[in-house]
Parts: sequence; structure tokens; C-alpha cells
Amino acid sequence: MSKSFNRVIKVIMVLTYVIIFLPIAVIILMSFNNNEYGMMPFEFSFKWYQYLFTKSELLPATILSLKLAVSVCLVTVIIGTISALGMQYLPRKILMFFQPISQLPIIIPWLVQSIALLLLFNFVGIGRSYVSMFFGNLIVVLPYVLMMVAGRFADADRTPEDAARMLGAKPFKVFVDVIFPMLLPGIISGALMSFMVCFNAFCMQYYLAPFGIRTLPIEIYTLVKVGYKPDLNALASILILMSTLIVLALNKLGYSAKKLFG
Amino acid sequence: MPNSDKKITRGSLLVAPSSLLLLCFSVIPLFMLIFFSFINGNIGPDGSIAGYTTNNFTMIFSDSTFTKLMFKSLGIGIVVTLICVIIAYPAAWGIAKIAKAKNHNLLIMLVIIPFFTSQILLIYSIMVILQAKGLLMSLLGFLKLADPATSILYSNVAVIIVLIYEYLPYMILCIYNSIEKIDDNLIYASHSLGAGWFKTFVNVVFPMSMPGLLSGIMLVLVPVTGSFVEPGLVGGSNGMMVGSLINSQFSTVLNMGYGAAISFVFLIIISIIMGIVRVLMSRANRSIGGA
Repeated sequence: MSKSFNRVIKVIMVLTYVIIFLPIAVIILMSFNNNEYGMMPFEFSFKWYQYLFTKSELLPATILSLKLAVSVCLVTVIIGTISALGMQYLPRKILMFFQPISQLPIIIPWLVQSIALLLLFNFVGIGRSYVSMFFGNLIVVLPYVLMMVAGRFADADRTPEDAARMLGAKPFKVFVDVIFPMLLPGIISGALMSFMVCFNAFCMQYYLAPFGIRTLPIEIYTLVKVGYKPDLNALASILILMSTLIVLALNKLGYSAKKLFG
Repeated sequence: MPNSDKKITRGSLLVAPSSLLLLCFSVIPLFMLIFFSFINGNIGPDGSIAGYTTNNFTMIFSDSTFTKLMFKSLGIGIVVTLICVIIAYPAAWGIAKIAKAKNHNLLIMLVIIPFFTSQILLIYSIMVILQAKGLLMSLLGFLKLADPATSILYSNVAVIIVLIYEYLPYMILCIYNSIEKIDDNLIYASHSLGAGWFKTFVNVVFPMSMPGLLSGIMLVLVPVTGSFVEPGLVGGSNGMMVGSLINSQFSTVLNMGYGAAISFVFLIIISIIMGIVRVLMSRANRSIGGA
């Protein structure tokens, strides 16, 4: 390939990264700016972080979202891991049927999935509530956990398991000593992924949260819609840091882009 | 074999909780959408229904609002997907074939970060850039190209920009996965046989990257066509898409039956598109000898 061609591609590539990260960088920069509106004059300060952690209205919504994401994540990981284990015993025919259905909640546009659930919950008389919101979020993260834990089974070497069985280990012992350690990276990755997706699942929460209750995505949506709060920049920076750390952790566990989007 | 029967029973038992959840909260609600489409007006939070009607469907096809917005949304979906493809090819090529191998992981990780960041925050960060007296408008004002006190926010163009920003990473990742698999020798061979970069792209790189391109199209076109948050936040009064029409039936107009009917028709249209892309995908995979 010619040198000049490579140079052009490199320039486009760098520009693409600039486009992706410029808005994020501006937000982080502004979170340290004493000046409330706009960029200039720039004066370094931790003012908005202090405000955020002491008297911000964003804090209750953040705590609610954390509680929701942690509880959804725990339940999904337990159910998802058990099912991924079960999938190994199912004959191919049933799997061919189960697998597409297990991916349905992330294939269907979330708008349609959420309003279908809202209609169902209204129909059975529950309506918008914490229970509705919990199950709505659970169903959109379950596919990720199933995918990641079942993916571990597909990649792993299964001989130690057979060896343990042949040496007389009971099924439960095989699970605890052999299968579980092998699955662990998949389970942790599934947990991280489901936590993050649930924490950010605006659409589900927007339609299913009880009236008057705001999770963090709903709170941010309202703020962006009606007016701007400078401590939002500080919160956004913390959240971006959080997602960066989760991406780093996933990478350490062996989940590269190939596994996530392949 | 009794042993394998036992295994199947155990497997089914373990899969049961997930299956039950998927059935109750995904499959059943989607099927019930057909039933809800015939409801007259709202379903109360207590489950009360005013009556049944076929008006919802006649309204969709007699009134031009839905048809117009559906075409507009598909148009925006296609434009956003196309621009993403055009930006993603050189970027993915650069990461896979020009950057040093030890940097691949880092470069790809950087692309994934937006995927793990809240969608609303990404929209907000673009709004900050685009707003009047923001970075972009100040720059354009400095170059005397536009008045810095104005802004392209609250227009269809703003919706398209925001959507490209949000979905570009998905496209880069999908195309990267395909390009990375192309053997370097194929490209050298094409060059040494005298093909320029354009010919090499058309005859070697493009067909070989087809599976990634198609899965990228799937991941971008479907959600973009159904988006409602972006038009609501940056679209202004003319920025409505079909998703906004559906959303308004549930949040402002409160005509859930009509909303269900629109969603149902929308879902059918989207499913047809997904079906076509899937058929193309399996064909592309077969033609390059993949699975």
C-alpha cells in the first residue's frame, strides 16, 4: 500500500477519535471550571464536585439507580448463570429454538419492548411500579449475561470436567471445583455488563418507573430538556470514568470487541 | 439412553427460570401488542378497558402523519447508517491494518467506551458542543461562516449529527472485526498484480468485510429508525420521528390503543428489514467461506 494512502487513512482515523472524544473531553474540562456558563474564562475549581456530593438534587436519583442496577445485576447473574449451565445439557434442536428467543429483548427496539411491557403491566393491574421497572430492566440485561456465560462454555476446555466426573466427583462438587472457576470470568463480565446496561437503560425506566420517581437517566433527561445544571458536568465526568473502568476490567477478563460484537 | 434423558430433564429445569422470564416479559407482551392495538383509548393502571375498536388501524392508514413520519425515520436511518459506514471504513482499516499490532487492543477499547456510557449523557455532550456560543459555533463564527449566537440545535440536522455520534462506534467495531480477518497477503497479491487502492477495495476488501458491514447495518439502522429520545431533545418542533409519535401516545396524548397499533405496524416494518439483512448476511458469510 502506498505511503500517501496510509497517511490519509491515518489522518481520518485520528479525526474519528477526535470526533468521538472531543465532546466527552469538553464535559470533563467544564466540570472543573469555576465559571458556570460556557467555557471562558477558565478557572480551575472542584466547586461542582463539592456541590454534587453535598446538596445536589442529582444525588437521590443516583442512589436509586445504583440500587436498581445492583439488584437487577445480582438476580440476572444468578438466573443467567444457572440457565447457561442448563443450555449445555439441552439437545441442539431445543437450543436452536431457545437461543433466538433469549436474544429477542436486545434485537427488538427498546421503545417497542418497553411500551409492550407497560401495556401488559397496566392490563394486569400493576401499572408503573418498582416491580414493573425491576422486571423490565431485568429482561433487557438477561440476554447479555446468557451470551457471556454461555460463551465461556463454548471457549473452555471441557476435559477437566470429564476427568473430575470419571474420578468419581458428585455433580455438585464438579460444579464448585471445576465449572464455577472456569465460568468466573464470564460471570464477572456478565455482571459488569448487566450493571452498566441497567444503570443506563433510560427507555425502560422512563416508561415503567412509578409516577414521580426519577432514576438517574430520567433525571438527566429532564435536566437536559428543561435547563442545564453545572453539577451535571461533574456527575457526567464521574460516570464516564466509571464506564472507562468497566471497559478496562472487561478487557482484562478477556472480553474484547470481538466477543461483544462479533 | 436413560442417561441422556436425565441430562435433558436437568437442562430444561435449569433453563426454566430464564425461559419463564423471557416468555412473560418479552414474548407475551410483544404478542399482546396485537390485542392492545384494538383497544379504544387507554388502559387504566387498574386494567380497565373502555372498549374495542378497529379505528386505530384505519387512523394509521387514512391519516398521512404515520406514513410521512415512517418514511422520514427510515430516511434518517439510512442517511445515518450510510455516513457511519463512510467514516467507519477508513477508521476500521486504520485500526486493523495500519496501527501497530500492540495498539489494537487499546484503540478498540477506546471505541467501546461510548457504548458503556449513558445515551442521554452522549446526547448532552454533543448538545454542549453544538449550542449557541458553544465550541462549534464559536469556531464557525471565528471563520466568519456563521453567526456564533445561532445554533443548528433543534433541527433535523442536529438529530442526524447526534445519531451519527451515538452509533458510529458500533459500526467501527463491526467493520473492524471483519477487516481484521482479511489476510494481508490477499491485499499484497492484489497490489502486486497491479490493482490500485480503489480496485483493491472494491474487489477484495469490500466483499470480504460484507458480514461485518451487514451486522453493523443491523446494529445501527434498527435503533436509529426507532429513536425517540434524540428527536425529543435536539429535534425541535420539526424534528419528530415515528418514535416520537409512539412516545407521545403514552406520555402526552394518552391514546395507548393507537400507540400500540403504531408500534405494532412499526415492529412489522422493522422485522421485514431485519429479515432482509439477515438473509443477506448468511449469503455473504457463505460466499466468503465462513460459517
